[in-house]
Amino acid sequence: MLLRTVVFTAVNVGLTMVLGTLGALLLVRVSTWVRLLLTTGLVLVWAMPPVVAVQVWSWMTNSENGVLNYILTDVLHVGNYFQHNWYETTFSQYSMVTSLVVWGAIPFVTITVYAALSQVPHELVEAAQIDGARAWRIFKDVTLPVLMPVLLILTSLSIIWDFGVFTQPYLLIGPGQQTTSNYLMSTYLYFEGFGKSDFGIGAAISILMLAIVAALSVVYVRRMLRVGEET
Amino acid sequence: MSRRRARGRLGWNVLGIVIFVVLVFPVFWMLSTSLKDNDQISSFTPTWFPRHPTLQHFEDAIHRQYFWTDVGNSAIVVLATVAIALVLSFLAAIALAKYGFSGRKLFIVLVIGIQMLPQAGLIIPLYIVLAGRHQVNTLTGVILVYLTFALPFCVWTLRGFVLGIPKELEEAAMVDGSTRLGAFVRILLPLVAPGLVATAVFAFITSWNEFIFANTLLHSGNKQTITVWLSFLYGGNRFVDWGQIMAASTLIAIPVVIFFLLVQRRISFGLTTGAVKG
Repeated sequence: MLLRTVVFTAVNVGLTMVLGTLGALLLVRVSTWVRLLLTTGLVLVWAMPPVVAVQVWSWMTNSENGVLNYILTDVLHVGNYFQHNWYETTFSQYSMVTSLVVWGAIPFVTITVYAALSQVPHELVEAAQIDGARAWRIFKDVTLPVLMPVLLILTSLSIIWDFGVFTQPYLLIGPGQQTTSNYLMSTYLYFEGFGKSDFGIGAAISILMLAIVAALSVVYVRRMLRVGEET
Repeated sequence: MSRRRARGRLGWNVLGIVIFVVLVFPVFWMLSTSLKDNDQISSFTPTWFPRHPTLQHFEDAIHRQYFWTDVGNSAIVVLATVAIALVLSFLAAIALAKYGFSGRKLFIVLVIGIQMLPQAGLIIPLYIVLAGRHQVNTLTGVILVYLTFALPFCVWTLRGFVLGIPKELEEAAMVDGSTRLGAFVRILLPLVAPGLVATAVFAFITSWNEFIFANTLLHSGNKQTITVWLSFLYGGNRFVDWGQIMAASTLIAIPVVIFFLLVQRRISFGLTTGAVKG
């Protein structure tokens, strides 16, 4: 279960960071009106309360007549997903949870990275272009170093959030469908602590979680502290 | 060269629009479903737009048991959290930004550290503490819990705003004969106002959206907050009324969306000040 939580966190954080950063790079390249459109969309997604998002997800992915199965089968023709049950296996359940969590987390990353991108000096990019550097080289050697501090903080924040994520897996998979075979740390803690009223075990899991997150968030806290010291 | 660049931009624009469509689709689907009639919703071949738009689902949703009670509960919790968090965190932010005191460093570590704790890990200790004070299944208990999460963020963000105001402004006012309190009210308060708005909205959104604690702490239907109400809107019987669920979801999302559009820039600024400045 610890392993499942770690893998889940790693996949979610990885997807969020990669897609979010790509989104920010795209925002720089599109025309102003598309950028405005995309930013509005991002804020809209960002604003969705998690419980609302869960309800929309369970409607879209339900096996009876969910729109996801329809799109896969009849619009994109990638295979026959008619009445496919996405909540049959643990892997499939968590794929749905992942899509939900990543969808909700991308806007924050994209908008923040986009703000940071505006701090990349133009002269440096132009100089690199004149020297004949390819797009990838420019990204790797000019843009990335400037973005690094922001990416580092966003990654540690995402790790902290995704490691403890509760609402989405708990509600989307459904309180009744969760057993020892598909717990995450957070849901395990909840079902042991409140489902079985065993506060002892629950508290033990809490401590374990807090210790892991504390270790992971050292980067973030240290950097924030440095900001606090400066003044 | 310029033509090639124009063509490149067209490609990016197309990609941008495709991504926009995928990104916004769930939100669109929620709205669209909430306006469809039941025949259209339960059809096996979904249609993109409502054929005969109806507000029936919205009407059903708001007349459901406890809807207004729980909206009221959410409003009480949110308003109390925002008001208390603003006053306390503004004072704390001024202390942090302007004065040196013993334990200042520890205070900063706590403010930042507490934000990092996963909420799920804190359910049990907070539950036990609140149960000891008979605050389980009461709104005051929930308000207290929300304050523990709202305060650190508000203190930290407001500290940044207070720091941004030059000390000379206040000093000049005091040289001109204003008292410390007068300088605070006339100089500091108006200048920090945007920061206060931003933090107020943040506290509003987090407490309106919160689910875990409301779900564990509030047991009776007439005491719950609106997110918990929505999470129970499943039916339980074979027929799930998706139209009504989507209508209720839309109603619950609206306040947050409005506030978000007002301040999204400030929030990402607050969370990553360290990255930009450090």
